[in-house]
Amino acid sequence: MAGTPLEKIRNIGITAHIDAGKTTTTERILYYTGMSHRIGEVHEGNTTTDYMEQERERGITITSAAVTCSWKNYQINIIDTPGHIDFNIEVNRSLRVLDGAIFIIEGVAGVQPQSETNWRLADRYNVPRIVFINKLDRTGADFFRAVDSLKEKLGIVPLSLQLPIGIEDKFVGVVDLVEMKAIVWEGGELGAKYHDEPIPAELEEQAREYRQNLLDTALSVDDAAMEEYFENGDVSVETLKRCIKAGTISGAFRPVLCGTAFKNKGVQPLLDAVLDYLPSPVDVPGIKVAAEEGEDEHADRRIIKADPNAPFAGLAFKIINDKYGTLTFVRVYAGTLKSGDTVLNTTKGHRERIGRMFQMHADKRQEIKEVSAGDIAAFVGLKDTGTGDTLASPEDPVILERMAFPVPVIDISVEPKTKESIEKMSIGLQKLAGEDPSLRLRTDQETGQTILSGMGELHLEIIIDRLKREYNVEANIGAPQVAYRETITRPYTETYTHKKQTGGAGQFAEVKIVFEPLERNQGVQFENAVVGGAVPREYIPAVEKGIKTQSETGVLAGFPTVDFKATLVDGKYHDVDSSALAFEIASKAAFRDGMKKASPIILEPVMDVEVTTPQDHVGDVVGDLNRRRGMIQSQESTGSTVIVRAHVPLKEMFGYISDLRSMTKGRASFTMQFHHYDPLPRNLADEIMAKSA
Amino acid sequence: MDSPRLHWMRGRQEEGPGVPRTLEWIGCDDAGEAIARVVRIRGPVSTGWRQYWAVALDEEARVVELRPTPPEGAGWLAYIGGQVVGRAALPLQAVRTAEAALGAD
Repeated sequence: MAGTPLEKIRNIGITAHIDAGKTTTTERILYYTGMSHRIGEVHEGNTTTDYMEQERERGITITSAAVTCSWKNYQINIIDTPGHIDFNIEVNRSLRVLDGAIFIIEGVAGVQPQSETNWRLADRYNVPRIVFINKLDRTGADFFRAVDSLKEKLGIVPLSLQLPIGIEDKFVGVVDLVEMKAIVWEGGELGAKYHDEPIPAELEEQAREYRQNLLDTALSVDDAAMEEYFENGDVSVETLKRCIKAGTISGAFRPVLCGTAFKNKGVQPLLDAVLDYLPSPVDVPGIKVAAEEGEDEHADRRIIKADPNAPFAGLAFKIINDKYGTLTFVRVYAGTLKSGDTVLNTTKGHRERIGRMFQMHADKRQEIKEVSAGDIAAFVGLKDTGTGDTLASPEDPVILERMAFPVPVIDISVEPKTKESIEKMSIGLQKLAGEDPSLRLRTDQETGQTILSGMGELHLEIIIDRLKREYNVEANIGAPQVAYRETITRPYTETYTHKKQTGGAGQFAEVKIVFEPLERNQGVQFENAVVGGAVPREYIPAVEKGIKTQSETGVLAGFPTVDFKATLVDGKYHDVDSSALAFEIASKAAFRDGMKKASPIILEPVMDVEVTTPQDHVGDVVGDLNRRRGMIQSQESTGSTVIVRAHVPLKEMFGYISDLRSMTKGRASFTMQFHHYDPLPRNLADEIMAKSA
Repeated sequence: MDSPRLHWMRGRQEEGPGVPRTLEWIGCDDAGEAIARVVRIRGPVSTGWRQYWAVALDEEARVVELRPTPPEGAGWLAYIGGQVVGRAALPLQAVRTAEAALGAD
């Protein structure tokens, strides 16, 4: 925390496809850096970062956990993230606040779908990263094939810094191409003992070839290094490391290391690489301030640089509620903050007093008195700060670039089993939704049921389980439903007059609203284009509220309406009879009437499905995907297996795993993630509308 | 590893903000005479009214359009005299290409 020079801090994440070894690698890191005195194992349910009961029971990571360790006098703040797509929000928000990342790729399968998704997320946030090819002890592991998959699937320039010595059960160490030496683990002492030795004779030629490629690639980013090479025929280790770091930060190439975390080989050089090649907070350009309303998202904007003496600026990226209250995780980008200081929540426009501050070590905490630029810490005592909010000094009230959250695709209804639980359930769900921006809550206006929308069946299952364990609420759960959406396909202008005279003060409001379709994933946008005070300024928020509230219940089948813009262009008011309520009612009615005339349609979520199947079942798998309205995107052979990729409507994927198992005698597996929303075919839309009627 | 046979030095630099990037490396013999050049391929480049997919500097430092467009991954051209003797993704590879071509002469 405060005291460690900024250049000796690394804020990194560890991310990968499910089961590639993120948590296992993190456990080794904590052990070798002396933060833990034993190595926890995922399959034994005793790892440090998987501390939730559900994580330990299921052997998967659900929530990202922050831990801090020290290696060679550097402070490394690590966030271990989940691999399952249902918990992708955790990866999203972690990558947003990190300066670098380790991408773990499985040595047998190479790049898998979730690695690809996370890679694209890291691209979005420009996160420098290094790749660790793990599980080289496994049968079928192939370092070179895994490196090729980086090129093919991610389209990057992988830069091998190591070569494996042996493979599968004969994997004993690595050739370090930077220093041209072998590093061999001695076995025993949980991998803590290893030594350098000359490169084995049989690998010498291959090592020379890869070293030349390393020089060719790394030196190309630094003209001075090229000159050193021309002068001496080689470069110093320091020069080479400087070039690798520069290329890693710029993204010109991605360094690749290898090992097997489970068998305790390769982790210490990986830690060295974190220090050598991933950036400190001062090595990265800094964080951009958010675009002003109407400003081009891609335009050049002010950048906040890591400086402990600048005015404070930090981003709240995660909220946890536990028995001690609400913990708000903050990445500090600039300035210094002490317990008891007051900051401005510039996103919401109110002040927050900082109570206690903690450095987190998974579920354990250590109180600290001060945080400064580059730190990641948890604050207690913030009253109304949510994920993605900026905390800033009142002397420079910046708003930092916002976070993007994924779209939920599955709904379930949830009802408390007893009347006494109604309030408890409401509080519990509000808190859980506050922690998790990929979980949405709404009330079905027709049935009065609470609807939970999430990223997948597992995501919602965990939420319900947490509701039971943490908030003691037993609930009846409806069957998972596809999260359909409604939208419009053509513009329409609707005028609605709300007039009521019931004796006493009446109600009057007239609104003229233009409804226009937007591109996918644009949500609901509202614009006030009234000129000349036809609708007084104080009533505009009520019009917006009316539109947004009513959009939760679409006109076709009651699904939320998205991807449209409502522009208030005109209206009328009455000095006595107009009120905010009257304008809200008028805009709701304008929505209901206008939407029907703007050619509404129902949208369904379409998933990116990847099935890995043995050759002899490809025909069955493809035929079945076609029957499920799937569009086959590609088929790719890797040895005796084939990877089939298809876009399939989520509706058709319920229960797919058991069908796939019976079709392939349990030999195939699949993963899926949300891809896009598509219009629902007319016959199915009619069925759904008939049901909702 | 074999030492380069020529003495290579920076040639022209890209103008613009930030650290200038070298567009050209010049290989000289022991007498200091320029024998070979490797030149960065840039593109697409827009002149405001026309777009060029790939351009490079010629001997006189004029920007010339490359036709046909070099294949993807070819980032540098190796010249001996005024003749292109090869292409490579990276400058050091292009240097080796130029020196190999010299050796073959």
